[in-house]
This record gives sequence, structure tokens and C-alpha cells, in this order.
Amino acid sequence: MPQLPSGLPELVFDDEDLARFLTSSGHFNSTSIRPNAFLPNPKDGETSVFRHGAKPVKDLWKIGNSVITNSTLHGAAMIKAKEVRRAGLEIISAEPPPRHAAIRRWPMESDPNLMKARHKEIALLLASVAVKILK
Amino acid sequence: MPEPLSIALSVGIGYAVLYGYGRSNTAISAEADSAKRAVAELLESKERSQSLFGKKAALIADLKRLATEYADEDWDGYGAAALDPLSVWNAEEFIRALPDNLPMPEASPEPDGSVSLDWIRSHNQMFSVSVSKGNRLAYAWLDGTERGHSVVNFDGTTAPQRLIEDFRPLLNYASASIRLA
Repeated sequence: MPQLPSGLPELVFDDEDLARFLTSSGHFNSTSIRPNAFLPNPKDGETSVFRHGAKPVKDLWKIGNSVITNSTLHGAAMIKAKEVRRAGLEIISAEPPPRHAAIRRWPMESDPNLMKARHKEIALLLASVAVKILK
Repeated sequence: MPEPLSIALSVGIGYAVLYGYGRSNTAISAEADSAKRAVAELLESKERSQSLFGKKAALIADLKRLATEYADEDWDGYGAAALDPLSVWNAEEFIRALPDNLPMPEASPEPDGSVSLDWIRSHNQMFSVSVSKGNRLAYAWLDGTERGHSVVNFDGTTAPQRLIEDFRPLLNYASASIRLA
């Protein structure tokens, strides 16, 4: 199987942990991850994640601090790759930076509001199964 | 129910007199008892309205804070758009239009510059409305294994009935009579 510069296999396995770095206090509240934490970037239609588990947490924050440079790193929403696929999305490796992966195939609609509503429903689903880890 | 401000105004002029009358122990006639009850109800209604207005005012103040905090692009480090002032304006209108017997949502920015208003009851019971600069609201909900999404028009003054109907089961409001504003 092809390997990436990070040493990880190119294929993202279902049981892999993914970290979505929380870069705004608006991404979470005291109990939960908010759906907006998973909404795709409007420019490229992707949600950026990193292939790393919650442990060792020191390494997780090391990755976060290396890639989050323009905003505050509050923590991470941890989610399994299989949950992303179960929601109908695709997760593929996208290095560089090391360990980076992209959640793709957010549904497209000609009506931007309807597309947003569909995205929100999927983001709610992802937020419901994500585990919040604060820095 | 009248607007909180109008209640305050209607109560204002004779408030002190009525208050004293309502608290008086000297009224013994049926008319006086009836008047006392009316005054008590009026006072209770006023206090309730002030409380509700306070919650909405607090949320609107929070929106204004968000507008400042997320006024620049890339606030999330992932390339997000700046929070759109028109989205904030529309979100304020939507909050004012919400029925008084609904709990208030939490406000946060979205990557496309819209405002997200979220009711999060638990990790698998959530209702989320996206308020953009246009007059349509995109929303979605998750209630255990049930989930869905929709889009409704918002006229700026009345909370869309379909949205409220979709919201009701999530918070076990089936037995409550949700009056549209």
C-alpha cells in the first residue's frame, strides 16, 4: 500500500481517529460540539482534519499548534473515519501538511439555501458522534 | 401577548397606584378582590415579559459581540468568510420574532459568514438554524435517530410556522401551545 511522507498509509481506514481542530469558541459549548465546527470551507467545499487520535494528547496539540497559526487552538473534535463515511461523505488523505486529510463530497444543490440545510444536517450528525477535547 | 415595551408603557402611568391597591388588605368587596386579581395578573405578566425581553436582549447583545469578534476573514484559520453584518441584522430580527415560550438559542458564526442559532439539548438532540443575508432560513435537526432539514422564508417579523412545527417535537413541546409571534 502506498505510503505518504508522514509514514501513514494513503488510505484512511474506517477505524482511524480524525481530529478537527477547534479554532473558535463558537465551535463548541460547555457540553457539545456545535455543527458549525464541521461545516465545509465555502472556498474549497472541504472540511480539514488531521489523522491522529486523542492520545498522546501532547502530540495532538503539537500538530495543532504547527498548523493553526492565525487563530487560537481551543481543542479538538475527535471523530472516527467510519462516522464520516456513514454520513455519506468521503475522507481522503491530503498531505501536506503531514497527517492532513480532507472530508469531501458534501452534497451539491442548485439552491444554495437547500444545500446549506443539507450540510447542516450532516454537520449535526458529525457533531453528535464527535468527542470534545479541550486544550 | 403584547410586546414587553407596550406592557411596560401601559402599566407605567397608573402603576404605583395600582400596585398599592393590589397589595392592600383593606379591600373586602368582590369587586375589590377581582381588581386585586387583575392587578396581580398584570404584575405577573409584566415581570414575565421583562424576563423574556431580557433573554432576547442578552442574545442580541451576544450577536453584536460576534459581529465584532468575527468581522475579519479567516477567523477560524480554515479560510472562513467574515461574519456578514446583514446576517447579524437578520438574526436579530429572527430572535425578536421567536415565540416567547421557546428557549433562546446559542449564537455562533458559520464559515460562509452566516449566523448559526443552535438549540442543543443533548449531543443527539439539536436544532440548528442558519441565518444568512437573504430572506431564507436553512435549518436542520437531529432528534435521536430522526433527522431532517428544510428551508423557509422569513419575512422579518413572524417566525416561520413550519420551522416552529419542526422544532416542537425536539423539545417535547407537543403539549405546549406555541403561539407564533
